[in-house]
Amino acid sequence: MYAIEVENLVKKFGGFEAVRGISFKVKKGQIFAFLGPNGAGKTTTVHVLTTLLRPTSGKTIVAGHDVVEEAKEVRKRIGIVFQDPSLDRDLTAYENMLIHGGVYGLGGRKLREKIEYLLKFVELWEFKDKPVRYFSGGMQRRLEIARSLLHEPEVLFLDEPTLGLDPQTRARVWDYIEMIKEEEDMTIFLTTHYMDEAEKLADRISIIDRGKIIAEGSCEELRRLVGNDVIYLRLDGKECCFEADFIKTCKILPDGRVKLDVDNVSEALPRLFELAKEKGVKIVEVTYHRPTLNDVFLHLTGREIRDGGGENFRRAILRVRTRR
Amino acid sequence: MRAFTIMVYRQIKRFIRARSRVAGMIINPLVWLIFFGVGWSGVFKDIQIFGGVDYLTYLAPGIFAMTIFNQSFLSGVSVIWDKEFGFLKEVLVAPASRKESIAGRIVGDSIVATIQGFVILLLTFLLTKLKISGIIPALVVGFLLAMIFTSFGVIIATNMESMEGFHMITGVLMLPLIFLSGALYPIDAMPKWMKALVYINPMTYAVDGARHYLVGKAANFPLVLDFCVLVLLAVVFLGIAMISFERATIE
Repeated sequence: MYAIEVENLVKKFGGFEAVRGISFKVKKGQIFAFLGPNGAGKTTTVHVLTTLLRPTSGKTIVAGHDVVEEAKEVRKRIGIVFQDPSLDRDLTAYENMLIHGGVYGLGGRKLREKIEYLLKFVELWEFKDKPVRYFSGGMQRRLEIARSLLHEPEVLFLDEPTLGLDPQTRARVWDYIEMIKEEEDMTIFLTTHYMDEAEKLADRISIIDRGKIIAEGSCEELRRLVGNDVIYLRLDGKECCFEADFIKTCKILPDGRVKLDVDNVSEALPRLFELAKEKGVKIVEVTYHRPTLNDVFLHLTGREIRDGGGENFRRAILRVRTRR
Repeated sequence: MRAFTIMVYRQIKRFIRARSRVAGMIINPLVWLIFFGVGWSGVFKDIQIFGGVDYLTYLAPGIFAMTIFNQSFLSGVSVIWDKEFGFLKEVLVAPASRKESIAGRIVGDSIVATIQGFVILLLTFLLTKLKISGIIPALVVGFLLAMIFTSFGVIIATNMESMEGFHMITGVLMLPLIFLSGALYPIDAMPKWMKALVYINPMTYAVDGARHYLVGKAANFPLVLDFCVLVLLAVVFLGIAMISFERATIE
């Protein structure tokens, strides 16, 4: 069963084609990440999926209903955390939750209990009567996550959920997302331009660039597009090669290190140690390289995924400096 | 119905929270009443010009209506800020009817505007001799006025593409609507073309209705006419606002 089915989705703004015919499916209960640079069409896609924008063409089914024809049915079943803050800054955390509940037709004791549960879940219960204006960026984000869960959606959309947050807060938001997935068995659609975020959270990843999906798969599958994982070993004393079913090639480098190509470092390493023990050789140093999603993106587009503009800018500054 | 009531609740809560803004809203009409009103009332010795009451008493219902007008119009157009800063999206992805949500918002804002009018009215009592029995019916008139102009503000905001255009519209519209309402001076002595403008201004009827109740004299139209115009316009404008809000937010 699929929670989201998108077929040939196109969204034009005037003459500009923001989304250029994308298709994908998201299984129920999965975390699906849309990974791509800024301006790739991620937010536009989210807005179409959440009924905020009408698609120019294509078919989009979310939680079993068509986003154009049965928008209301879709709206009942989805929750969303927008990229830009959408809280009422003059109101308290509790009031924000209460109003959200009301807009979704909830009320009474059940709503109050749910609000308490969720504010405790995101560790904001003690700040419930504080106006949101005084909240830090991370607290606001957490409140928005709690709010999006209030009406128990089937599909949760998170548009750049950790944008602009410090590393600690990001890790905390990730924990919440993983807890939500496990406890509520929710389908989560996530957009991000942070590779580590996609790697950490997503079951499946779609890489989107300039309005098109250029690759899709699990993190492992995507990595394999670029090449396999590489392990470098330094052995104590003698140089020798290993042979096993999980080792693709093995080579001794001029500097004495052993280079092994494997499919998956995390699985290969423990077995390698066993193998070494059997052979009676001692491994004194291990380094490895796994292709990152950035390598994948680079491989597919010839550009870096993040801050392409910034990188060029920095280079330009460097150039100016060196010229002087 | 829940979306409607919760939006009313939201607008009132926001009003209570934003105390500094409220103070600002009250100071402005007081400046008019005191510096403009007291200033002129020394000049106008002949009370016959104002239908047999002193100028300050004549002016008071006008300031009351003006307060409500200013507040309601501005809160109506403030939908544009929601458009810009996100809360609107919250409402738009919810399954609640958009018409219902905006209606709740308009009613909530109208209540807020009426409360502010009420505060001004109480302060006015310190300066003038108004009829205390007129307060409650005058508030009903004020609420209808608020409904008209909050809706009107929403209509403008939802049809407006840019902030600049919005500033222009409010700048061009607000002062003339106040001058052409009989709030500050009698309609009778105006030239014909100006009178025509006064008659098509909804605020005219609110000023007139408030004068009926608070002063008892110096009104221009029958009370029934005032109410008919206000109720009719409130319903029509609310309807248009609901439709144009829904239409504006589809794309």
